[in-house]
Amino acid sequence: MESKSGKKRLVHGLALLMATALVLSACSGNGKSGEASGSPSAQTQQSSPSASGDSAGGNETAIDPLGKYDPPIEVTTVRNLSDVVENNVLGVLKGETLEDNRWSRLYEEQLGIKIKYDWVVKGNPESDQYQQKMNVTLASGELPDFLPVNAIQLKQLAESDMIEDMTDLYEKYASPLLKDILSQEGSGPFDAATLNGKLMAVPQVEPSIERAMFIWVRTDWLEKVGLQPPKTMADVLAIAKAFSENDPDGNGKKDTVGLGLTKGLWGGSMGLEGFMAGYKAYPNIWIEGPDGKLAFGSIQPEVKKALQVLQDMMKNGQLDKEFGIKDGGKVAEDITAGKLGLEYGEQWNSIWPLQLNKDNDPKAQWRAFPIVTEDGSKAMVPEKFSTTKFFAVRKGAKHPEAVIKLFNMHVEKNWGETAEFDKYYAPKEAESVWQLSPVTPAPPKKNVTAFREIDAARKAGDFSKLTGEPKTIQEKIDLYNSGSKEGFAVWGWERIYGPEGSMGITDQYDKNDQFLIDKFVGAPTPTMVERKATLEKMQNETFVKIILGQSIDEFDKFVADWKKLGGDKITQEVNEWYASTKK
Amino acid sequence: MMNGKMRRELPLHFMIVPGLLFIAVFSYVPMAGIVIAFQKFIPARGLFGHQKWVGWDNFDYVMDLPSFTQVLWNTLYISSFKLVLGLVVPIVFAILLNELKNEVVKRSVQTTIYLPYFLSWVVLGGILIDLLSPSTGLVNQVLKSFGLEPIFFLGDNKWFPTTLIVSDIWKNFGYGTIVYLAAITGIDPGLYEAATIDGANRWKKAWHITLPGMRMVIVLLSVLSLGQLLNAGFDQVFNLYSPQVYESGDILDTFVYRIGLLDAQYGVATAVGFFKSIVSFILIGSAYFFAYRFAKYRIF
Amino acid sequence: MPGSSMKPAAAVQSGSWKAGKRLDWFAAANTAFLIVVALLCVLPLIHIIAVSFSSSTAASAGYVKLWPVDFTFASYEFTAGREGFWRSMLVSLERIAIGTPLNLLLTIMIAYPLSKESHGFRFRLVYAWVFFLTMLFHGGLIPWYITIKQLGLLDSIWALVLPSAVPIFSVVLLLNFFREVPKELEESAVIDGANQWTTLWRIFVPISKPAIATLALFSMVEHWNSWFDGLILMGNPEHYPLQSFIQTIVIQLNFGSMSREDVLNLTLISDRTLKSSQIFLGSLPILAAYPFLQKYFVKGIVLGSVKG
Repeated sequence: MESKSGKKRLVHGLALLMATALVLSACSGNGKSGEASGSPSAQTQQSSPSASGDSAGGNETAIDPLGKYDPPIEVTTVRNLSDVVENNVLGVLKGETLEDNRWSRLYEEQLGIKIKYDWVVKGNPESDQYQQKMNVTLASGELPDFLPVNAIQLKQLAESDMIEDMTDLYEKYASPLLKDILSQEGSGPFDAATLNGKLMAVPQVEPSIERAMFIWVRTDWLEKVGLQPPKTMADVLAIAKAFSENDPDGNGKKDTVGLGLTKGLWGGSMGLEGFMAGYKAYPNIWIEGPDGKLAFGSIQPEVKKALQVLQDMMKNGQLDKEFGIKDGGKVAEDITAGKLGLEYGEQWNSIWPLQLNKDNDPKAQWRAFPIVTEDGSKAMVPEKFSTTKFFAVRKGAKHPEAVIKLFNMHVEKNWGETAEFDKYYAPKEAESVWQLSPVTPAPPKKNVTAFREIDAARKAGDFSKLTGEPKTIQEKIDLYNSGSKEGFAVWGWERIYGPEGSMGITDQYDKNDQFLIDKFVGAPTPTMVERKATLEKMQNETFVKIILGQSIDEFDKFVADWKKLGGDKITQEVNEWYASTKK
Repeated sequence: MMNGKMRRELPLHFMIVPGLLFIAVFSYVPMAGIVIAFQKFIPARGLFGHQKWVGWDNFDYVMDLPSFTQVLWNTLYISSFKLVLGLVVPIVFAILLNELKNEVVKRSVQTTIYLPYFLSWVVLGGILIDLLSPSTGLVNQVLKSFGLEPIFFLGDNKWFPTTLIVSDIWKNFGYGTIVYLAAITGIDPGLYEAATIDGANRWKKAWHITLPGMRMVIVLLSVLSLGQLLNAGFDQVFNLYSPQVYESGDILDTFVYRIGLLDAQYGVATAVGFFKSIVSFILIGSAYFFAYRFAKYRIF
Repeated sequence: MPGSSMKPAAAVQSGSWKAGKRLDWFAAANTAFLIVVALLCVLPLIHIIAVSFSSSTAASAGYVKLWPVDFTFASYEFTAGREGFWRSMLVSLERIAIGTPLNLLLTIMIAYPLSKESHGFRFRLVYAWVFFLTMLFHGGLIPWYITIKQLGLLDSIWALVLPSAVPIFSVVLLLNFFREVPKELEESAVIDGANQWTTLWRIFVPISKPAIATLALFSMVEHWNSWFDGLILMGNPEHYPLQSFIQTIVIQLNFGSMSREDVLNLTLISDRTLKSSQIFLGSLPILAAYPFLQKYFVKGIVLGSVKG
């Protein structure tokens, strides 16, 4: 039969490949560390298929990061299907399906890799269902060739000896462009994927920089109450006071709220992280103390101070007395209905929920401002570590390097020499087309870079040189500026990338070195697994109650309890981990 | 005679075999997974892989958690009220519905009260937050119009359990009523005719005919619902609670859910499930025993 | 003591029937009360319908209460064009078409033997407990999944109907209804030479119509509302039953770590009007089932069949 001979050929090909791999690993062992930090010009040269041959040390059987399997191979994996992909991509692209689309064709034609999905689950990868589906897959013992897992699953797989060590494979097969892109976030993502000194998965590096907090203010209200954009926390409090007391919506009723809060307290929209940072309090993340040891942000005295301020605001009627039961969706209703004009959130807030307010009241205008401190000094912006997806390869997979090649191709076609942005990343008719690929690595700073390019073009008054994503974004801004109805719908984008957009502030944050990234990036420690839920419950319960008026001394009790109930042990474990990464 | 009995019995065995096969495959085979309760179960190692045995550690772990007593108490408190009211309210409605003479009204009411059952708690949660808001909610505006203080139903620890209980009954009673209505239709109409001739009023008829006619279903559902004593309603609580009311509203299932969120703690989840099963088994088993002992009635 | 309800001990001796107007006060109050309660129950659904016909903006600002604001069909147009929605509805209908008859058949076939007295059917008690224990003890998600996987059922409609083929609760309920069937009926059938099989289908099943209609409804509702098994057991979203499909849009919002792509997702799924129209359309078919089954809720069946 045909398949039999195909199999034979495959085995031969494999043997050959293994042999070359052996030879190569022997000679590439030395110059490892230098590779990742090669100069940009060298990288782009290397990444084009024709040039790759001679760049890898003149070896004729050198590995081509973008080379083609002949005969083609099939690899299996699993994925999620988001609503955006379902409706805005597959829904509009005729003749493309999740199994057969421009990305799958590209991978098949150029790399000789055919992708097959063992299963597809609807929803986003953080959902319970996705995680459960993944866990039952792991438990059933039949893993696909490669699979995206989270840090916990990665650790369990590695400890169970079910996945391949990727250390050498990554060194060998990752294109210089990929190496460059994945290293832009620092060593964190790789630390998180390294267990016992071995790289057990390829981290799909996600930008922590996107987690930066801003103060989103309704500027039309700001004018109405005659205040200036905030420079210090005192300004923020004054704005909150004015927004809740001076009837900014002009309906003669005291029905507005000073600052948006949710029952969950934290998060990318209506979260308290940015507010607390104004008092140099950094709850929920691990920060490095002066002694070089890590400490948990939530139990520091600065948090107490910030809570006191919030409590006073509540007493003075500036906060929603019912915030304690409202989730983000409910508070978003208040924003939409024009009851709220001040909130802390990430750069995307203008797309949701603020756009809803704009839709409802076209006169409403919002703008992001940098977070501020009490004395107006440089504010540090807390950031959660956001790389949560790791691509692991099943032990014994025939082509463990295939996933790396997919990574290579993905970055090549989007940001490399041969990039076809309008086809593979974000064609106008289906802007999320890139999500059709099973792997979606991207330069972590791509959005800031896009802003920088747009901004430079704006200053030069010439947008003609923009290409790729910046071009697409600029077209959105132009659309908005045209004043058309479609343009109105992309107001949120203009608020991000426009002249006074949130990305401009990210740019400043970045240039001023204002980021404070969560220092703990490993898998949860044993005591965390045991106690984190309990400690979190205690923390949020205490904080909400203090804001609602319970004695501020409860905070000290919380700190003592936190330490006693496992916090001290967690701190110790986290520091042991921290010491181990420094070795 | 013996032969005749055999002949009469054999088909009964045959009838039951297909059902037995189904539960053997889909219930008893997976039931072996209860061993996970005694393991530090790591999914990646597989069901038959090398899992670490930890004895009763998973049980101890849950019981040693700082707020376990509080949570267990909340669970028992909320679920016992739900159990009792969940039985009484549908019975009352079935009787009241039975009194309706107008068939159209009767059927429409019957149908409408079963509607809320079909809306999930995620959806109802949002509606309830609006409805029960102290400042703008409809319920509190009614209270205010009677000169009463507004009540923060979802944010006040004194009121939160009550809110859970009442809203749960409201969502489910219509659906629960259906079984009782079916039981009522099984009552011999001749009994009512005879009672009417004897001059009984409707209270007497309800008390002496309708209620006894439903007795079997009432006893049965009471016993079966005992098995739910440790289930206070995950979906409902999960969608309505907040840190503000953890104190009175956090239940076993939400608690275990949050513990499992960080790490897939199947060992712990299975242990809690097993614990709940044992408790249900003891409760139902005793009820079964007493029903037989004192009323000579076998529930099943 | 089965059958005791047939002879209410303390049937009525005293009290006189005061015919006419005075008693109707109760009827009126009762009717009024039930109608008010019914209205309270229908309010949330009316709210959802109102939202589904409102403009997206009005809905997200929370303006919509019980009447549409800025009336529009937009959400229905979107849903109508959503292939996955209708495909899932078909899967759900298929699930009921296969699952409910299977549930009923097995329920009847198990309940009948178990409704016999122990002296008429030895091992009855053993069987009863073997069945009943499955209601209490479960092995958990993973063994359940692996069993179904090993049987090769994953990703097929059978994964949705076979594992839940025996609804124990219904069995227990029906066996109790069967016990209420007057002994005389069965005895006369035996005298007529009917075997067990014909006794079951000719006597027990027709007489228990209201009970079986109830169980049919329970089974349909159960199949219609289940979403978790669909999400876990179906490897391809095209095979999702409707509630699994809807479940992915009615989740709680979580702002933990959201990328801008997630936000775009959010703007799609957080749209109240879309959610509402899908929830409404998604519950219509099953809501229609009950009124239809009500015709089996007719009194006097016992009497009728004895006479006939």
